[in-house]
Amino acid sequence: MLHMFRLDMIMAILSVILGPALLMFYFLDTCKRILRREFGHEFFHSVVNANRLEFPFVRKALEEFNAPVDYERFRMQLKCDFLALTYLLKNAGNAKGRLSKEERFLTWYFNAVVLKLIITHWLRLSERAAVLRLTSILEYFANVLGERVDTIRFGDMTASDYLMSL
Amino acid sequence: MLGNLLATAVEYTVQALELFLVVYLLYRGLWKRHAGVLVYLLSLLAVDEVVRRYFFHRYGLNSLAYAYSYWLTDVLLALEAFGLICIFFRRACVPQLWRVLRLSLIVVFILVAAISYLSLSHHKDNLLHSFIYEFEQNLFFTCVLLNTLLYIMLHQMGSADEQLALLVCGMGIQFAGPTAGLALVHLTVGGQLAYLLLHHLAPLCTLGMLLIWTYAVRRFTTVQEPTYRASGHRGTVPALAGAGLHGD
Repeated sequence: MLHMFRLDMIMAILSVILGPALLMFYFLDTCKRILRREFGHEFFHSVVNANRLEFPFVRKALEEFNAPVDYERFRMQLKCDFLALTYLLKNAGNAKGRLSKEERFLTWYFNAVVLKLIITHWLRLSERAAVLRLTSILEYFANVLGERVDTIRFGDMTASDYLMSL
Repeated sequence: MLGNLLATAVEYTVQALELFLVVYLLYRGLWKRHAGVLVYLLSLLAVDEVVRRYFFHRYGLNSLAYAYSYWLTDVLLALEAFGLICIFFRRACVPQLWRVLRLSLIVVFILVAAISYLSLSHHKDNLLHSFIYEFEQNLFFTCVLLNTLLYIMLHQMGSADEQLALLVCGMGIQFAGPTAGLALVHLTVGGQLAYLLLHHLAPLCTLGMLLIWTYAVRRFTTVQEPTYRASGHRGTVPALAGAGLHGD
């Protein structure tokens, strides 16, 4: 009986520990798989140039120049890019005026990674991986936006023509 | 008040998504490829919309009949999910590997079903006490483990089937959350907070699974379709690729 009781408790404790860990794992893996979507070509360059976004420079600084993480500055730059991109995703060439399900899912993921960044900063651990993950989410958003703009044929349409065609 | 409102919103969203996915699979003619998923979704709909609703309206929320119907249908759904994971294994494996795995999976499934039946019939008089939480926790934990094994196998094989990987991730979310919730109820001997957590976590995990499945089914359907359209009919090599093959 005692043996059964112990086995039963061990199973419950294992479930309490592994359950949330696996839940988190599957959630993060799903986000990574969505981010891995391949685009026709790199649409994000035009969006970055047109809107003076800074995430490519953050990534370049970390990956190519191996620069140390400037927490305050990087966080502000990435947050501003995030706000700009989510605004554009909602309003640029989008008749519905709101984010799609996968975009909303990724905004949650972005906020979760920002939380991770804050925690790693508090604990004085390496923030590099979290910053790079944030840049890849922003690149995805910029690619989606660039692809959308690329498919819309403006031609010699006026603003009102375009809005009427939506 | 707000909690109840949110729970109701989640419940209706789950049902709407289930219905949407069923209609989408049937309308796009994807039901053959996703027969297992379709059957599971139809069961979820039938359980939520027919069985539990009937017992709820006939006997009331606090009745014994409703409690029995709720837990027994939950066990049936878990067993069906177990079967669905086996179908995912079939899709992931090459024929040689499937021949080896098939027998083991069938034996494990029969074992789990038999143990479930024996345990439930043995405890049928005190089913609604702590037993059902412990039993479901073990059943869900088995599903999570099998699902994780499948995930590891896909990773090891370097599978390019992204749709299957997303379906597996959805299934993992569906079971991982409730497993922890049920175990917490069991450990705290029915603590109020644990009940509350389980009550809110389980529908949220189902919602997560359905969102991922919707994404997986729609994304990979819309990617494949233009090829068929461009080539005129299915199975034909697209014009440019064909030209390249016979170019020299």
